[in-house]
Amino acid sequence: MKRSFFSVVVLGLVLAFLYAPIVLVFVYACVPNGSSMSFFRTDGSFIGFSAKWYQMIFRGDYALKDLMQSLWLSLKVAGLATLASCVLGTTAALALHRWKGRLQSIHHALVYLPLVMPDILIGISLLMLFVALGVECGFWTILLAHVTFCVSYVVMTILARLQDFDDRIVEAAYDLGAGPWYSFFHVELPLLMPGIIAGGLLAFTLSIDDVVITSFVNGAGTNTFPTYVSSMVKHSKNLPAVFALSTIMLVFTCALVGLSKLVVRGQPQKPKEAKGTKGK
Amino acid sequence: MAFLEFQDISKQYGSVKAVDHVSLEVKQGEFFSLLGPSGCGKTTLLRMLGGFERPTEGRIFLEGKDITDLPPNQRRVHTVFQNYALFPTMTIWDNIAFSLKVAKRPKKETEEKVDAILEMIQLGEHAWKYPNQLSGGQKQRVAIARALVDRPQVLLLDEPLAALDLKLRQHMLIELDTIHDQVGITFIYVTHDQGEAMSLSDRIAVLNHGRVEQLDIPAKIYEAPATRFVASFIGDTNFFAGEIAAVRGDYCEIRSEGFPAIQAYNDKALAAGQRVDLSVRPEKIRVTKTAPAAAKGPGLNVVKATVQDIVYQGVYTKYWLKAGARRISVLEPHSRFLLDQETITWNDDVFVWWHPDDGYMVEVK
Amino acid sequence: MGVRTESHKTEWLTTLPSLAWLTLFFAVPALIVLAFTFHGHTPNGGVGEWSLATWKELVDPDYPTIVWKTLRISFQVTVWCILLALPCAYAIARMGTRWRGVVAGAIMLPFWTSFVVRVFAWKTVMHPDGWLQAVYHGWLHAKLALFSWIPGVSVPVLADPPPGNCLLGFAHCAIDTARTTIIDSEIAVVLVSVYTFLPFAIMPIYTAAEKFDFSLLEAARDLGAKNFHAFRKIFVPGIWQGIVSAVLMVFIPAVGSYVIPQMLGGTNCVLIGNKIFMRAMQQRNIPHASALATLMAAAVLVPLGLAAWWTRRAAARDRRKLELRTAQLMSTGGQR
Repeated sequence: MKRSFFSVVVLGLVLAFLYAPIVLVFVYACVPNGSSMSFFRTDGSFIGFSAKWYQMIFRGDYALKDLMQSLWLSLKVAGLATLASCVLGTTAALALHRWKGRLQSIHHALVYLPLVMPDILIGISLLMLFVALGVECGFWTILLAHVTFCVSYVVMTILARLQDFDDRIVEAAYDLGAGPWYSFFHVELPLLMPGIIAGGLLAFTLSIDDVVITSFVNGAGTNTFPTYVSSMVKHSKNLPAVFALSTIMLVFTCALVGLSKLVVRGQPQKPKEAKGTKGK
Repeated sequence: MAFLEFQDISKQYGSVKAVDHVSLEVKQGEFFSLLGPSGCGKTTLLRMLGGFERPTEGRIFLEGKDITDLPPNQRRVHTVFQNYALFPTMTIWDNIAFSLKVAKRPKKETEEKVDAILEMIQLGEHAWKYPNQLSGGQKQRVAIARALVDRPQVLLLDEPLAALDLKLRQHMLIELDTIHDQVGITFIYVTHDQGEAMSLSDRIAVLNHGRVEQLDIPAKIYEAPATRFVASFIGDTNFFAGEIAAVRGDYCEIRSEGFPAIQAYNDKALAAGQRVDLSVRPEKIRVTKTAPAAAKGPGLNVVKATVQDIVYQGVYTKYWLKAGARRISVLEPHSRFLLDQETITWNDDVFVWWHPDDGYMVEVK
Repeated sequence: MGVRTESHKTEWLTTLPSLAWLTLFFAVPALIVLAFTFHGHTPNGGVGEWSLATWKELVDPDYPTIVWKTLRISFQVTVWCILLALPCAYAIARMGTRWRGVVAGAIMLPFWTSFVVRVFAWKTVMHPDGWLQAVYHGWLHAKLALFSWIPGVSVPVLADPPPGNCLLGFAHCAIDTARTTIIDSEIAVVLVSVYTFLPFAIMPIYTAAEKFDFSLLEAARDLGAKNFHAFRKIFVPGIWQGIVSAVLMVFIPAVGSYVIPQMLGGTNCVLIGNKIFMRAMQQRNIPHASALATLMAAAVLVPLGLAAWWTRRAAARDRRKLELRTAQLMSTGGQR
């Protein structure tokens, strides 16, 4: 059966729809006038593209100080949240995979529910917790909230990996004399690594992108990149700088991911240096 | 005390008794098979020996030492898993070196041993490949090498050939035999395939419903099955259920419904009145159009029958015959196919006959 | 496995970190929210004595309207997402393995640009002088012209942007060019919500479609079924679990939506999420915010419960596997 023409057309349109704002981000990063967000003068004549927003970023312009600070905070939070949620997520996924008792059904419910709860509910309930405990909101509350909502995603990604996992491999390790720790670090962890990396990547993306939960628990004056951007007044004249920054970030991410793909692809085929086995 | 001893082992899963009071003794260096249909408890026995399960009752002794409660990593018993269970993140070399590395052996010794065993399984040039780059047979050899490299006391093989295709399986059978001869380690081999068990084993334990039905050398298992189950599980057979009517010297006469009196060799010296199942293997029965000449001694057992089905199988032809209400299967070799055999075809009336020595009686309790 | 005696201890040790974390920072906060709804609030933004005042105040005529509007918009967004996702997932699943990964990755790629930034990009083109506004007005005029020619259909001309009176949301039938802007309208919210949640609808459906045996469609056509008929009668039931997942993955965040209506809906599109944020962060009325959050949780848990009730155990397990696979796909950008 041949591909349906209709479905391919819809797919094309959807892709265009999904990429339109990205293209807009690229384009508006070059807008000459930050307050009218227009490439045209009032008389309708074309002004041209401008690189001044990129220059501002690379110059470290003082007007962008808060923006850059918020980006730095986002990176810090996302990095730490990724690390913490990977550790918690790995142990959780292993437990959920290995045991099937009553404890694990409670555990599973606790892992699953944050996935289906809207972000705003997680945000507000954490806010309530901090209110009830009288905790001052700031960096640590943001980090804590991010770990909380990232853990479940990491667990799901690793569990998906564990589904294809052959339990006999762990038995084989025990059988050949390895203890639980040796087996975990030399057999299970390397096997789970792709899952953990994928989960970590997802956690990082979610954390650096989160605006809803953060806006509940950030406290006054502490802004991550998304909350800072969303709080920018309607036509902040620095908006194109945000677009330019996003463009740089996207290019950087793509390059990074592309590079990692290349490295991963090159790995398994590459024979290791034979170490003294060809002796005879 | 025997080298390896199962003492009255039972294993209960909920209400299911997977292993039911099994006692076995295995000699050092023996190739010992646990044979039975799926769910007979053979794998459970193996896993208890490997340390992955703990018996509900009974003890396991290895060289006089009680190993029942030892975890798998503290017994020198290694397993070759059915699906190989090679470590996918490690090279072949690292896979094989695993047990030596865990035991923190000197580097030089590790390298020597791994290289030596790689040579033995003829995979030296694949040492730096990963398991997913190998074929099924190669993986199998790596799995065996990995389990043998630190010379365990016992090697357990859990249906190791089940995942291979027929040709490769036959090849691996020979290879396994060779490896066993070379290393001289006790092999415990679990399989549901009687052919594998027959051709490899020194002794076979046939299991059913968690019990040992018979423990013997392969020829005895086939020729002198202890129970009806063993007779039917190992190879094909025809059963004639009946009762011993009379005993005459070494022979006896069995009365089976719908048949004339059947003569059988009475090696167990059973008394008249004993209910028995007489098992006669298909290849021991002959089919001819004319009645056979009478033989000396107790005479032949001759039954009249009609041909129902004929299946040509190359080396043999298989006949399904109907004698009264019974079906009898017969395998005829083709040694003189063209020369002296009258052609037998569907619906022919034929004579089916065998010598009384070729039947084997199993008592019915 | 293996060391049986330590099994129980090991289980607890492995489970405890995540269990404790989620109990402390997910379960306990949820209970606190529930508890706060049974408190009054104090004028200085604190939590007052135990009382039922908060729940009584929820009868405020504002709230049912907002709840209804939230549900209606979420429903519109879900329907659009599924309608667009079905052909997309079908098209991707029919591609060669190589292309599949590329296209699935291409669908997830926009997520590497900040969500807020993308919403801002939309906002920029929805400028009252922008071209999207012009397209919108052209569409409204065309619609007005069309409907006024059909006998029996009266087109009321309103000065205010009317509430979405059509199920699928694009049927505003009245225009006041000066005041009907696309920005600050419900349409903007629906459009950008569909944009945001569409990949979450495509991925689970695609995951299910990937496993679908396309020879069934051939067989159906062989037996005389028309293209669309075969698609509807064979393909759609075959990937039903994927559709259920997709509906949940779109509807739930849509109900909880807060950023999009806030940035694009203006005062015309205040949903529960915005109300919660307003009550909690601006008016410091914690009990009210808690009560609204409880309502939202109910709005989410009811369809979830329904989905669980509709699908039998085996199907639920299938769907769980599917969700895991989706998570895997989405986290690796479509590459395996």
